[in-house]
Amino acid sequence: MLSRISRTAVCRTAIKSNAKALAGARRGLVQPSGADRASVVDLPSTYQDESHFTPRSDMLGFKLEMPVREGSVKEKTRPIYLDMQATTPVDPRVLDAMLPYLTDQYGNPHSRTHAYGWEAETAVEDARKHVADLIGADAKDIVFTSGATESNNMAIKGVARFHKEKKRHIITTQTEHKCVLDSCRKLGEEGFDVTYLPVQQNGIVSLEELEAAIRPDTSLVSIMTVNNETGVIQPMKEIGALLRKHRGVYFHTDAAQAVGKIPIDVNEMNIDLMSISGHKLYGPKGIGAAYVRRRPRVRLDPIISGGGQERGLRSGTLSTPLVVGIGAAARIAKMEMARDHKRISELSNRLVQAINSQVEHVVRNGDPNGYPGCVNLSFLIRRRRKSSDGPEGAAEDMAHSSLRFGIGRFTTEAEIDFVVQHIVRTVQKLRDMSPLWEMVQEGIDINTIDWSQSQH
Amino acid sequence: MATPPSRRSILSLYSMMLRTSRSFSSYNFRTYFVRRTQDTFRTLQNESDAGKIRSIYSDAVAELAVLRRSAAVNQMYGGWRLAVEDIKKPDAITERGDN
Repeated sequence: MLSRISRTAVCRTAIKSNAKALAGARRGLVQPSGADRASVVDLPSTYQDESHFTPRSDMLGFKLEMPVREGSVKEKTRPIYLDMQATTPVDPRVLDAMLPYLTDQYGNPHSRTHAYGWEAETAVEDARKHVADLIGADAKDIVFTSGATESNNMAIKGVARFHKEKKRHIITTQTEHKCVLDSCRKLGEEGFDVTYLPVQQNGIVSLEELEAAIRPDTSLVSIMTVNNETGVIQPMKEIGALLRKHRGVYFHTDAAQAVGKIPIDVNEMNIDLMSISGHKLYGPKGIGAAYVRRRPRVRLDPIISGGGQERGLRSGTLSTPLVVGIGAAARIAKMEMARDHKRISELSNRLVQAINSQVEHVVRNGDPNGYPGCVNLSFLIRRRRKSSDGPEGAAEDMAHSSLRFGIGRFTTEAEIDFVVQHIVRTVQKLRDMSPLWEMVQEGIDINTIDWSQSQH
Repeated sequence: MATPPSRRSILSLYSMMLRTSRSFSSYNFRTYFVRRTQDTFRTLQNESDAGKIRSIYSDAVAELAVLRRSAAVNQMYGGWRLAVEDIKKPDAITERGDN
């Protein structure tokens, strides 16, 4: 905002002289108001200039350099990207499918009276079909949303609130994504009972514990397919079969990290509701989908009310380019899944083996049979000083010295070798500074250390 | 199209796709499409079923058009070079002095 004001201030004098010259030259019906009548807020005295930037403490010493497109392309280098759980780059083929709908084919897909609307609607329905095909669903079961967070909110709050007269219990796990946990916390405030199931050592939920937690008034069970931090894959087929035995318990899964990466079939897994994200499968950000089963029908209370688009579950005009983007991403994901999975497994093994051969005391978090594109390693470096940590101090150490590597479709061997080389150097350097590492080398088991003594 | 594509047309399509893939300016996309093109044509080389060869060939023809447009867009908006692209010798890695 401030930068815009200062820029207009610079231009003001030039515009003023132009306006005067124009006014004298020709008079029209509409007189432009001069730039001198526009009110410009004075800049505060603390304002430095447009390029000034204060680094935040959470930037960890990284420098922010605004990319200047022209000229500097050859001069600077960018870091490599290994955070595919956060987001993935848009596949160039996806962008190519989207571009026509960002330029010439701008119709509203809900317009029924002209060709602009029809072509947009056809494109949206094609995309719906591609997304449905990827998860073995029917196209009519897919509802487009703004992302997996919205899908999760819609599914959890929607189902719970719709059945709130008779059923007031929902089950989820402790390792869910924040948007699931927070939706459940909100429902807890509204008077629902929420069970947060623990997971076993390998990150997988115990089927016995799940069955024991089911009550006659349970309306929903929400368990994620692939964990975003550790890559643990939950046994969806077994959970689905278990929940099918209990009538009236709906099964929701947050599959944002799973769709397009591992094979998923909603009928085989007995899934009633599923959340899908566009930007985790090489599609654009700002689009997601919810699978809501129609046979047997899953009923839910919509969060957004309006024109009744998307079966009334998510009103509001669909963004045709984004929908086309997620559709193309789903089509490509289905086509490339086997090839991608094979390659990502190779790269993942290369990373884990290289690090394990060069650094000792590295622990892989999660299940070894999880999704290979998510490698979470603990390096045993330091202990965070915190007054509240008690006997679980060691577990916390693990959490604070772990790193997540996200490998994706566009990751190369060179990038893996590059990251290994840097990790080995950095870990060695940090361990040389760490008293905890000295103790480990002396043969002291860190689990036996009495942490409370070190507080004083 | 009753007859399978000739060896010559397959080779010319392969060289065109490879050239287009190499013209991406983003490192990750470039390496991916080069690898993918080589992979596709290696399966095509080992394929003996005429019907399958035809379908792989026509898919590749359609994809060439997509790749050409994508590469043009990528050349316009491609960013800086990645750190791996001009990799230095291990001892030449410099580190910040303040950490």
